[in-house]
Amino acid sequence: MPNDKQDVTVGEMLRRHGISRRGFIKFCTAAASAMALPPIMGPAMAEQLINARRPSVIYLSFQECTGCLESFTRSFAPTIESLIFNIISLDYDDTLMAAAGAAAETARAKAMQENFGKYVLIVDGSVPTGAGGGYCTAGGHSAVDTLREAAKGAAAIVCVGTCASFGGIPFADPNPTQAWPVTGIVGDKPIINVSGCPPIPEVITGTLLQFVTTGKVPDLDEHRRPKVFFGNTIHDRCYRRPFYDQGKFAKSFDDEGARNGWCLYELGCKGPTTYNACATLKWNGGTSFPIESGHGCLGCSEPNFWDKGSFYSALSNPAWGKAGETSPLEVLKIAGAAAVVGGVVGAASAGVGRMRQHRQEQRSVDNEPKGG
Amino acid sequence: MSRLADIPIRIEPATSDGGLGGGVTAILNEIVRLLERLASLGEPAAIDLRSLPMSPQDRAQLQRALGEGEVQATLNAEGISRIQEMRVPGVWWIEHRDRQGELIAELLEVSRVPEILASASDEIAAGARALREQITLGAAARTR
Repeated sequence: MPNDKQDVTVGEMLRRHGISRRGFIKFCTAAASAMALPPIMGPAMAEQLINARRPSVIYLSFQECTGCLESFTRSFAPTIESLIFNIISLDYDDTLMAAAGAAAETARAKAMQENFGKYVLIVDGSVPTGAGGGYCTAGGHSAVDTLREAAKGAAAIVCVGTCASFGGIPFADPNPTQAWPVTGIVGDKPIINVSGCPPIPEVITGTLLQFVTTGKVPDLDEHRRPKVFFGNTIHDRCYRRPFYDQGKFAKSFDDEGARNGWCLYELGCKGPTTYNACATLKWNGGTSFPIESGHGCLGCSEPNFWDKGSFYSALSNPAWGKAGETSPLEVLKIAGAAAVVGGVVGAASAGVGRMRQHRQEQRSVDNEPKGG
Repeated sequence: MSRLADIPIRIEPATSDGGLGGGVTAILNEIVRLLERLASLGEPAAIDLRSLPMSPQDRAQLQRALGEGEVQATLNAEGISRIQEMRVPGVWWIEHRDRQGELIAELLEVSRVPEILASASDEIAAGARALREQITLGAAARTR
């Protein structure tokens, strides 16, 4: 049926809303920039999208704080946000939709049935499995059951935020609700993790846009994160990197080094082991990012960031590590370095980061719940 | 409300001798390469400024190095975009802002004319049809 909203192309939707070709090229240029594509791709992407059908999107919220949705809706300010909703057909989001109760659940069932095998499932929040899934229920169904049901007809699942991607804070020790990331529940679907606490708005919309434009799951890293956004560490792209290379570090938040904008490594910045796009895309419409505001990176887009010790301990600090790990100082000794010099500390931290990452992956795999 | 840029924080430039920072020199070299390509093959290109880790000092240095040229254009589509030709011919500094005035994309385009300024072929044809219709309707109204 031509009037069915899924059959309406993006171009038709834009015309209905009085958005001009140049306005749309502008949006696509901004999106291409967010997706780390060459900016010259903007007009080509606009052309491709104008003829694309709008995919049905179902957004499920589980054990989460709604920070990710808050972030999502701030992508490129409200006007462009409305563009995003012209490009996708958001058929279910219990926080944003006007419908409630049985009407909302009926809308979800209808969208899932009509678009079976084609819809994009967005999951926000971890999935508690304790007490028979009773820690998180909606409409009489537990989160774990709802996820398993909704996953069946999904073309792909996009996990928005560190909770859905890696378990996040609910998954942190002692994990009282036996929470799991989506990958711990669903094993037979393409899963894209868009981690961050919350993720950068443009990373969420950019990932969706990329999927709509190409119809394919983007290239992912070992944590199933899109490489275009998670391909570099914060440290690699940080504008304070030259100070790190020169060995110029702030020693406290109010010293001369901090005022001069020197590297925050010794104040606990987790930039060297954190993969995300904060240093380039930035936050709040490109205003700044934590390091630019004088605070180190917390590493919120990495698995188990909450259980990695103090946010204010340097990556090189042995107290930051846990029993059984090679201390970064030992690594330093092996490297034959006496002084705390940027490059060497960086290498040591990266090594410890990798070891830790490996162990955590092991933990996730070993403890995966049965079924699903 | 005061903006971040209004808060006075002294940031020490990466190079203390007043010379160009390594990043700025790299961008300028890239521009030279793209200009040579445009001159010989006619191929336009663009550099995404937001993907580069630049301090405010680096930006200012880059702007100074390229200088301002003769042409300034303003595009009003879903917010204002400012398009500035630089002193180096063929280099355009483009700032796209949304309706709230927030910067959504910033690029250096190396082309004869920025692509977004040119009218699209299908829109030109549609415009010609609409104009012909307008003339016909006008003529019909006069003969009535």
